[in-house]
Amino acid sequence: MAELWRSRASYILLGLFASSLVSAEHSFENTAIVRSVELGGALTHVTTTYAVKALEHDSSIYTIALSENEQKNTHWIQAKMKGQTVPLHLEHFGLNPNTGAYLYAVEFPTALKANASANLVVETVQTHASYPWPEVASQKDIQYLKYEADLFVLSPYPTSVQRTKVKSPSPQIGSYTTPKDMEAFTTDVPVTKSGSTVTYGPYSNIPASTNREFVEEKQKHIAVQYNYPNPVLEVTKLERSAEISHWGANLNIQDNIWLHNAGPALKGHFSRLEFQSQNYYNRLSPTTLVSLALHLPPGIRDVYFYDLNGNVSTSRLRTTPSVPKGSNSNQYTLFEMRPRFPVMGQWNYSFTLGWDSPLADYAGWDKESGSYIVGVPVQTLVPGAVVDEAEIKIVLPEGATDIQFSPPFPAVVNSVSTHITYLDTTGRPAITLKYQQLTDRHTGMIYVSYKVPLSAHLTKPFAVATALMGVFVLAFAWRRVDTRIQK
Amino acid sequence: MADYESIATLHKHIPSFSPYIPVGLLPYLAFVLLTAVFGLAFYFSTLPKTTVPLREVAIASTASLLGGFGVVALFCSAGVYV
Repeated sequence: MAELWRSRASYILLGLFASSLVSAEHSFENTAIVRSVELGGALTHVTTTYAVKALEHDSSIYTIALSENEQKNTHWIQAKMKGQTVPLHLEHFGLNPNTGAYLYAVEFPTALKANASANLVVETVQTHASYPWPEVASQKDIQYLKYEADLFVLSPYPTSVQRTKVKSPSPQIGSYTTPKDMEAFTTDVPVTKSGSTVTYGPYSNIPASTNREFVEEKQKHIAVQYNYPNPVLEVTKLERSAEISHWGANLNIQDNIWLHNAGPALKGHFSRLEFQSQNYYNRLSPTTLVSLALHLPPGIRDVYFYDLNGNVSTSRLRTTPSVPKGSNSNQYTLFEMRPRFPVMGQWNYSFTLGWDSPLADYAGWDKESGSYIVGVPVQTLVPGAVVDEAEIKIVLPEGATDIQFSPPFPAVVNSVSTHITYLDTTGRPAITLKYQQLTDRHTGMIYVSYKVPLSAHLTKPFAVATALMGVFVLAFAWRRVDTRIQK
Repeated sequence: MADYESIATLHKHIPSFSPYIPVGLLPYLAFVLLTAVFGLAFYFSTLPKTTVPLREVAIASTASLLGGFGVVALFCSAGVYV
């Protein structure tokens, strides 16, 4: 099965790159493409549904195209057949230099007969696709963000009908582009707005669009300026350190978070008076971040929250009992935090958040391989935020060997190093994984398997015992030395 | 390396981690061991100085061994999970 897929994929690759027109087979036709863009702050969720009709018998490999701008911002992509939950494998073909379109190939689970149809749903998450517009705003102003995109969804196959629905979180839409010269594709109004949805389309009879001619002449750009009612959050850097202790049966997770409010910059100075009056009347502007509710894992204890100045006491914690390892429960510990100061537009706040949890909730012992397997969560989601840079360090017990790790999505860089902490002699192996542009769909556990023999466990008490023995030897020698000045 | 799904299911089904010494016992163990170390160290200081220090070496080694485990237990009960 894998070999068949590889040979067919390389055939497609050859076919696609050999011709300048990226539609080597024309074995499909799109009867309808509907793209639904859910506008957010730092994250934008785009769901594109392709209603596909096969033109040839036994067609199963379908090519999806993303324009250059879309690909630049897209950091999570998944394709599924409509109604199914199992995602399909996406083959990345990269940029075709002739057309500037990024291509992905997906194989349908069952090959389509001629004139049979199927529905493919492609979900993507774009980061930093919206930017504040206007770029400065006072404490009282509404927060407007602007989202830019290409009007047509590119596809190497001809499309009968296409529409794009841009959904804003609030009905206040500042402005939206009305595309011109659309007579070739529609006789009606090219764009309509109803409530908080701006619909571009339906456009008919779009030819195969992954070619330079279409991209340069027919493709249009659209922009929508919308009111975003929540603070736009970015985590510029996340440093997570997970330390495993076998003697204490404990997993300590510590996050160093650099939070940035990516909304419009504050115009003028921060007015405490204005802030207090807004607070009193409960009319806080969304450009101000006052509090954040984080969902931490269940069953944690000893939570600490501090920044450079010291402990931050303005927080509330509601714990829940432990859940068994690997269970898909939706229990969480609610951590309502208030930064030390209200974070206005383009301001930063950095803090450290950490907790201890029982190791039995995360690790297990595999008797067959004689190794321990631990699952460390990749990140704690900050609602609606994108993590620009993340570094996750997993510190294993001293003397761990045969270390193997599998992350839920590949890291940019992996490395193994030695971490030295209390009561260590040889140091502990630490695995560091670096990521970029993590979204709210990048959740999951990093699984690490390692072996620690009993002798490695005992190095710690023996190291302390040796130190104490040293003290006793010193005492032994001291008793036998005569330190009197005069006899 | 086996693929992600298989290691995830394996992780879910294997028995949970359990330490050699139950964590609830650690504070009591720390107290008992360290008081023993204190007592032994005091006794060590009262021992006569002999040419062949058999007794001193015996007391010192038991005290350091107990102290090794006692300090590790102490660290864990104090919240520094070593």
